[in-house]
Amino acid sequence: MTGIKDKKSARMRKAVYCCVLSLLFVLVAPLIPYVIDAHAEDVTSSKANKPVALQHPGINLWNDVRQRNEVTQGSSQVIGVDSGILINKTGEDWRRFRMQMLMPYGAYFMAATITTIVLFFLLRGKLRLPGGRSGELLCRFSLNQRTAHWFAVGVFWLLGITGLILLYGRFVLIPLLGADGFSITASACKEMHNLIGPLFLLAVLALLVLYIKDNFFNRDDITWITKGGGMFGGHVSAGRFNAGEKTWFWLVMIFGFLLCITGLVLDFSVFGQGREIMALSHVIHGISALILITVSFGHIYLGTIGVEGTLEGMTTGYVDASWAKSHHDFWYEEMSATVEEQQGIKKDVASSSTKPASSPAGD
Amino acid sequence: MFEQLVDGVFWNIALIVFFVGVIWRLITVLVLRSKRIDYSVARNSGVSGAVMANIRGFYPRKEVSARIRLQVIAGYMFHLGLFVLLFFAAPHVKFIAQHITGFTYMTIPYWGFIVASEIAFAGLILLWVHRVLNPVTRLISKRSDHIGTILVFVVMLTGCMALGEASSELRVLHRFSVELLMVYFPFSALMHAFMFIPSRAFTGAFLGRRGVNV
Repeated sequence: MTGIKDKKSARMRKAVYCCVLSLLFVLVAPLIPYVIDAHAEDVTSSKANKPVALQHPGINLWNDVRQRNEVTQGSSQVIGVDSGILINKTGEDWRRFRMQMLMPYGAYFMAATITTIVLFFLLRGKLRLPGGRSGELLCRFSLNQRTAHWFAVGVFWLLGITGLILLYGRFVLIPLLGADGFSITASACKEMHNLIGPLFLLAVLALLVLYIKDNFFNRDDITWITKGGGMFGGHVSAGRFNAGEKTWFWLVMIFGFLLCITGLVLDFSVFGQGREIMALSHVIHGISALILITVSFGHIYLGTIGVEGTLEGMTTGYVDASWAKSHHDFWYEEMSATVEEQQGIKKDVASSSTKPASSPAGD
Repeated sequence: MFEQLVDGVFWNIALIVFFVGVIWRLITVLVLRSKRIDYSVARNSGVSGAVMANIRGFYPRKEVSARIRLQVIAGYMFHLGLFVLLFFAAPHVKFIAQHITGFTYMTIPYWGFIVASEIAFAGLILLWVHRVLNPVTRLISKRSDHIGTILVFVVMLTGCMALGEASSELRVLHRFSVELLMVYFPFSALMHAFMFIPSRAFTGAFLGRRGVNV
């Protein structure tokens, strides 16, 4: 009995499923064409709502002029580099960089450095020689080294001042001199900067040859750096040049040569370099110059009013022994050892020269 | 107004002071020297001594050549550079033709002008730095030596500033500095530009006559 009942209920279930599926089919099947139609309508309607790309008659011309798609070279009767390009896109990039990045950030950088130096001087004052001067002098720089240094100083500041006038003059000098006055000043500075510029290469080369020997970093420099160079108290040992002086030397070398190379590219524009190379050179030239000028403030401060007894090393060539002991004690020991050795040699020579006189009696 | 003065009256005054001063100095020296009679018996020709001393002065003696290398090199750089600039730069040749000689002659190209300027500037700055730093030259230098150097530097610098020919003010500034230099020239050690040959000749002749190997 139960078997027959089960078979009947199974048949009923199948019949219900078939009915439901048939109903669903009957209800859904007629909608399918509408769905397809509706989708097709959506596609066409969305196409219909899009703006029609109607080209401006002069759009190709202006795209070419502004070099938007690719750099196109036109033809011109003027013979020269980039003379077939009406508007150089990189020129606008360069102008934006110069006006919005180089000039304001360069000014902030210099102002922050000067402020830091002034604050440091007000807080710390001049670093005096502990125990005063000894009166004993040590030869620190040869005449050639000093000549190269001051030659570089002269050329650097001629170029630095004229360069800063060219960069910031319109903001600083136009209110003072007026437009015409600034025009004359800028023209004079440009000519001076261009003419004196190549001499800086000579100066940097001379500094490289005469100063490189003692400017390689060593382990002592790490200690010197970690102790802040003794600027905040405490004694730090150093050789002939400390890590700060070595860093300054290598900054001058790296940025100095960058300045020279890019300066020559800008100065002698007769070797076929285009505007892109010129713009890139100007960017590197400007950044390098601002870095060197700014760091030189610290160098000048420490070399003059910051540390007692430093400047005379570069003016007379000699420094006081107590200065050497307190700032460059390893170098002082080296020098003392050399002097003692030389004195020993002198004594040996003197005693050997007196021997013949005494030897006949002895013999 | 100032431009007219610089181009007119000042220029004429400077020119007169320069030429009269230089000639006066030369005559004074030559006349004074010629009055001295040397009674010693001549052992050698004074003329050959004068010529040799002049030639000998162009290169350093072996004993001191290493010590004075910088002065010699920088000295030649400055003097040759300035000579080329002064007499062969196109604007100067044009100016000399218009105001002094009335005729033009060969000029150097622009790149030569720039190279000569670089060399002259480098030489002058090196010489002046060396003069100040070397204890011996510092000691024997007078105020007039420094004034002469600074005036020459200013003349070169203003010339360099006027290179672009952007305004007449810069040209006038250069010309005014030249006029100052011309007025100062005869009364200073800058006279060595005219004196170096006769002074070497006198010394050479004096020593040559006594048989010294100049």
